[in-house]
Amino acid sequence: MNHLAGIAIRAVATAVPTAISRTRDYEYLSANDRQRLQAATGIAARRISPAEQCASDLCAVAAERVIDHLGWERDSIGAVVLITQTADQPIPATAIVLQHKLGLPKNCVAFDVNLGCSSYPFGLAILGAMMSSLGIGRALLLMGDVSSRVCAVHDKSAWPLFGDAGSATALELSADASPMHFDLMSDGSGKNAIIVPSGGLASRRPLTGERIVEEAGADGISRRSDNLVLRGTDVFSFAITKVPPSVDRVVKAAGKTPAEVDFLILHQANKMINDTIAKKTGFPVGKALSTLADYGNTSSASIPLTFCAHAELFAQDRHVVVCGFGVGLSWGSTAFSLRGGAILPVVESDRVY
Amino acid sequence: MLKEFIEKFAFAIECDAATLDVDTEFKALEQWDSLNALSVIATTDADFGVALSGNDIESARTIGDLWKLVCAKSGKS
Repeated sequence: MNHLAGIAIRAVATAVPTAISRTRDYEYLSANDRQRLQAATGIAARRISPAEQCASDLCAVAAERVIDHLGWERDSIGAVVLITQTADQPIPATAIVLQHKLGLPKNCVAFDVNLGCSSYPFGLAILGAMMSSLGIGRALLLMGDVSSRVCAVHDKSAWPLFGDAGSATALELSADASPMHFDLMSDGSGKNAIIVPSGGLASRRPLTGERIVEEAGADGISRRSDNLVLRGTDVFSFAITKVPPSVDRVVKAAGKTPAEVDFLILHQANKMINDTIAKKTGFPVGKALSTLADYGNTSSASIPLTFCAHAELFAQDRHVVVCGFGVGLSWGSTAFSLRGGAILPVVESDRVY
Repeated sequence: MLKEFIEKFAFAIECDAATLDVDTEFKALEQWDSLNALSVIATTDADFGVALSGNDIESARTIGDLWKLVCAKSGKS
């Protein structure tokens, strides 16, 4: 895969809702199991959106933040791409709604991409390549999810893992930007590892004329058919075997060694997975930044959130490798350089646009 | 090797290896749950270089069944 030249990351912002849900308070597990879950996953707390807040709202807060920070005229923004698993509605694409809500011009490309935990490398590749080939000077890459809205609260295999967050990454064409290297992978044979079974056409389950009921799955947990099902063992096995080689390939493509990379930012899945990937790829755990303890797994927003939660580390120029992996199955890695000051600290917001 | 596997398995699920043997039906153990399944997958990957899948865990009944899968996947018999 070719590298991408001439795309600069100008700013990254992330917004989270204010409400905190703590593992130690999760009523569907015993006190002992809450402790075990927290030790294994590293997840102590997550942010949960109020009922009326969508992923698009959190992304809009983050978008406003990068626009203000950079002092960009809204008319100068030529594309907005939203990557989410929790769009406002099935159609139309939420990015188009955001074009209007954010006051972006009508000559602005806007569309959604259906990816989750692998979003960051795919998003940079999609939007960066489009900007480069079509000559779009400035663009916003938005990634966010309110996974709390699709998990059953009593589903101990999913609910205590996911938090809500939305992010914005401001990209600009710049002749002197350093190259981005990519490794992008897909394996649809793993589609059932993380799935919301109904709501699309393949489920053959019309949404009307049918009472919504909960049914027990093979794991004994009752869910609605529009709840998320997470097969943790399959995701775990995939993540510790397929993901490390992707990181290895992108580090090599960038002509670097782990020692020459300042930070590894992995999708925040769980501590066991992330520690294993860091170890296998030769990154000391201290270089692999984590936000699991405070925010859990925030799906598409996890990588930008992890940048923003460590904003102080990015006051100076940094070489980074990021790697997203999960639903699809889809996984990918990117190696790039960040100019100092591009990462803005996390903001809290319950705003609804 | 089987003895080592049982020891690693016991460590992964935090129990005494002396209470386990090749015929132990591990999913019937009182402490068995999905977190233990992840722990066993992690241990098997780290110590035996084999990635067990969710289906492997579901299809195996005894520790011996799991060991057979590890051997088959690692190309050893």
